[in-house]
Amino acid sequence: MAVDRRSVKIVVAGGFGAGKTTLVGSVSEIPPLTTEELLTQASVGIDDVTGVESKTQTTVALDFGRITISPNVVLYLFGTPGQDRFWFMWDELAQGAVGAIVLLDTRRLESSFPAIDYFERREIPFVAAVNQFNGTCAYTEEEIRSALELNADVPLVWCDARDRASSKLALIGLVRHAMSRLPVSA
Amino acid sequence: MAYDVWDGDEADAGRLVPWYVLVNGRTTPKASDLDLATQVYALPVDTRRLEPEFLEIVRQCANWMSIAEIGAYLHLPLTIVKVMVDVLLEQGYLGVGTPAQEKIVDKRLLEMVLAGLQRELDVRD
Repeated sequence: MAVDRRSVKIVVAGGFGAGKTTLVGSVSEIPPLTTEELLTQASVGIDDVTGVESKTQTTVALDFGRITISPNVVLYLFGTPGQDRFWFMWDELAQGAVGAIVLLDTRRLESSFPAIDYFERREIPFVAAVNQFNGTCAYTEEEIRSALELNADVPLVWCDARDRASSKLALIGLVRHAMSRLPVSA
Repeated sequence: MAYDVWDGDEADAGRLVPWYVLVNGRTTPKASDLDLATQVYALPVDTRRLEPEFLEIVRQCANWMSIAEIGAYLHLPLTIVKVMVDVLLEQGYLGVGTPAQEKIVDKRLLEMVLAGLQRELDVRD
């Protein structure tokens, strides 16, 4: 019994400490929630549990928030799990998502490589968002683009993840970008 | 729900009934399009036969609620919520919205999202 009630997903990715949870929290209409997933067998051999052999079950925490778009449509924002290796969670987050915001911390640009690579490979629309939580950024757009080897069609936006309006503009940038990539007939 | 309650010695974080008993050994939802953003709501039916764990979920869904939210509010792992919601859908306790896991090629939906985000900016900032 399916009813016309739609969920829309946006993924918020980026390296550790790039401000994913901060961004989710600043735009969400509810305080960000955390849900957990049990680590599956898929991680055996990848998950280094040396020294913690007694730990048989690992959980992956997932922060998310929501924005009610209309009486029938709710937008969910999911922050990717802190560790990039939990790819099985990324797949579920990204499937059917509008796209992703990859938050950049200009002190550690390389920490956003895995996220950029992930969305590029799967042809999932994303915008790169420079999180300016430390005041102004010392680099130019050109410098950042070339450091990340960003495709010319990937929008680069500047935002302050702590600021609701600024974060929301990044979301708007992503939705616009996703629309521009739709087939003309759709 | 007519599952027998087995109060064995399973020390599953202090639980009396292990999860796999509750969900009848089911490990993945039969409705494979159940996604963590899929929303469900409680249908107005008699819930007296439900096990407490299932009843908790139904009570949580008085308003539309996503799988992820149920997991967060009830402190349940997502896999467990998915399977339990799947059972509740099958038995007619919950209704389900359009799954989020369809590939988005829906221009009107994106326009709606865009308008929603912009409207909120204008109103509150």
